[in-house]
Parts: sequence; structure tokens; C-alpha cells
Amino acid sequence: MSKQYRQWVKEYQDQAWTVARYILKDEQEAEDATQEAFVKLWNKQDQIDPERIRPWLMKVTRNGCLDRLRRRRVNVEFDESYMAGEEVSGPMQGAAATETGVWLKRAIAGLKEPYRSLVVLRDVNQHSYEEVAGMLELNLAQVKTYLHRARKQLREQLAEVRP
Amino acid sequence: MNEYDEKWEDRINALLDGELSAEDADLLKAEATDNRQLARAIVEAYQLQLAMDEIKVERAPDSLRKRLKAVPRQHRRTPVISFLQPRWAMALAAVPLVIIAVSMMRPETPSASEIAQARQDMAIAFAYLDKAGVITGREIESVVGHTMANAVTGSVNKAIQSQNLNSKEKEA
Repeated sequence: MSKQYRQWVKEYQDQAWTVARYILKDEQEAEDATQEAFVKLWNKQDQIDPERIRPWLMKVTRNGCLDRLRRRRVNVEFDESYMAGEEVSGPMQGAAATETGVWLKRAIAGLKEPYRSLVVLRDVNQHSYEEVAGMLELNLAQVKTYLHRARKQLREQLAEVRP
Repeated sequence: MNEYDEKWEDRINALLDGELSAEDADLLKAEATDNRQLARAIVEAYQLQLAMDEIKVERAPDSLRKRLKAVPRQHRRTPVISFLQPRWAMALAAVPLVIIAVSMMRPETPSASEIAQARQDMAIAFAYLDKAGVITGREIESVVGHTMANAVTGSVNKAIQSQNLNSKEKEA
């Protein structure tokens, strides 16, 4: 069972981390939230359909992050080292190579929920629409409608910053 | 966002997701040639998609990787014991029954004071029976005569004396 857990960690840790990082915008808190999700996975692995581990984990990670946001009560400002496009190291290396990429990360992080999660899960983590619907407990039509709105917002912002 | 916009958005996103049929894609492009706003929306959507392609899943930091690896060591799994499960409910219900049964099966071991009290009670009872036997003998004698009285009281006294003897032997 421990071997299986290690395999899940290997396969999904980056995706869960990405979700947590975008939602929480705080590196330390994102680590804590991701670890919490994996602790739940470890404790409940017998109760989860092995075929549904990935969507389950993403859902739990996202919900944990949203709980943390609620506990903060006030919206914290963006983690500037993450959003300003300055020299980044470690986890951020290669995440966005160009100025546009860095800008887009900031714009995604600035979206409201559930738009932000939708864009991260679908466009960054490349989950299927069906998986995203399951993770966010929305129907397929809602997922597409919300995602289209989120993309439109990003598109319009991108048009403003582009020459 | 009006209904018209929603329809555009659906078709533009379907186009980018590769879900729009070739026929519908041609129709949309034809429409865009006559509609500058739609054409611009399609171009911007393509630009966004290109920018999205730059953003990849981020590598989890090494500190997190270590923490996740350590989870099995630091968080020992506890077996799921739901007290709502029938077998646990039955086991819980059986506990008082077992306690009662054990207490009933346990042999009585009277204390020394209880034994002393019992001996005293028994001695009083035998003395009373002796006395009752004598009185009964007198009453019978007065009614039916001495011979008959002796026959009745004698057998009663013998029975009392033998019981008294037995109890003394047990005490010894």
C-alpha cells in the first residue's frame, strides 16, 4: 500500500502543488495544503476508487485551499516574488519562460473562484472537462460556461497589455 | 455578457478545443470576415491559447517532496472502526451481557463474619426446634397418651439431632 502511495505522490504531487500555489499564492501555505491533501489520501486510500484518485486528490487539495482562504478572512496580497516575474528559483523554474507567461500566471491567480480553479485544472493541469466537473461538483455545461467566461476575462486583459 | 456573446464564446472555445466540426468552423470564420469584433475575439483567443501553452504544471519544491514521502512514516494509519457497523454494534451490546453472565457464574465465597452469623442462626434454630419438639410432645401426650407422644416427638427429635450433628461435623 505504501508503494502505491509513493506512486501517487510521484504522479500527482506537481499537479496538486500547482493548484495549491495558484489558489493560495503563498508558497509555505501551498506546501501545507498539498501535504494535508496527501495525508488524507494516505489515510483514506482504502475508501477511494483507484480509478478516481487523481480527481479526488485535486478536489481535496482545492477544497483545503479554499478553506484556508476563508480562514484568512481578508484577501492577502499576491506573493510578489511569485507574481512580479522577478528571478524565480526552485519550484518556479520553467513554469513561465517569457514575460507573457509570467503576466498570465499573475492574471490567472487574480481570477475569482471558481474561474481560477477552472483555468488551472483545465488549461494548466490539462484535466478533461468531465474530470474538472467532478472535482468542482459542477455539471459539464456549467464548467464550459464558467471556463469560457474566465478565458474571456484573461483574453481581454491580455489584449490590454499587448502592444 | 449577453446571449449573443455566450454563443460566440461557446463556438470560439469549441474551435480552440478542436470540438467544432469543420463545417461549423468554416461558418464561424466566414462570419468573422464580416464581423470585426468576432474576428478580434478569435484572434485574442488564439493568442491566449499560445500564452497558456507556456504555462506548465509546476514542479513541487524539494521540501514538499520530502514531506510527502514522509507521510507514511509520520501518519500511522488507523484501521477504520466504525461503531455504526453491525458487527461492532453487536459486540458492544454483548459486553453487558457477558459481565452479567460472569458475575452470575462466579461462585459465592462468603466472608468469615457471614459464616459466623450463619452458625449462630443455625444454633438458635435447632434450639428452637428442640423446644418446639418438647412442647408438641406434651400436647400430644395430653390428647392421645404417652406412648403415641413418644413415637411422634422421638422421631422429630432424632431428625433434628442428626441435622445438628451434621452441621457440627461440617463446621469442624
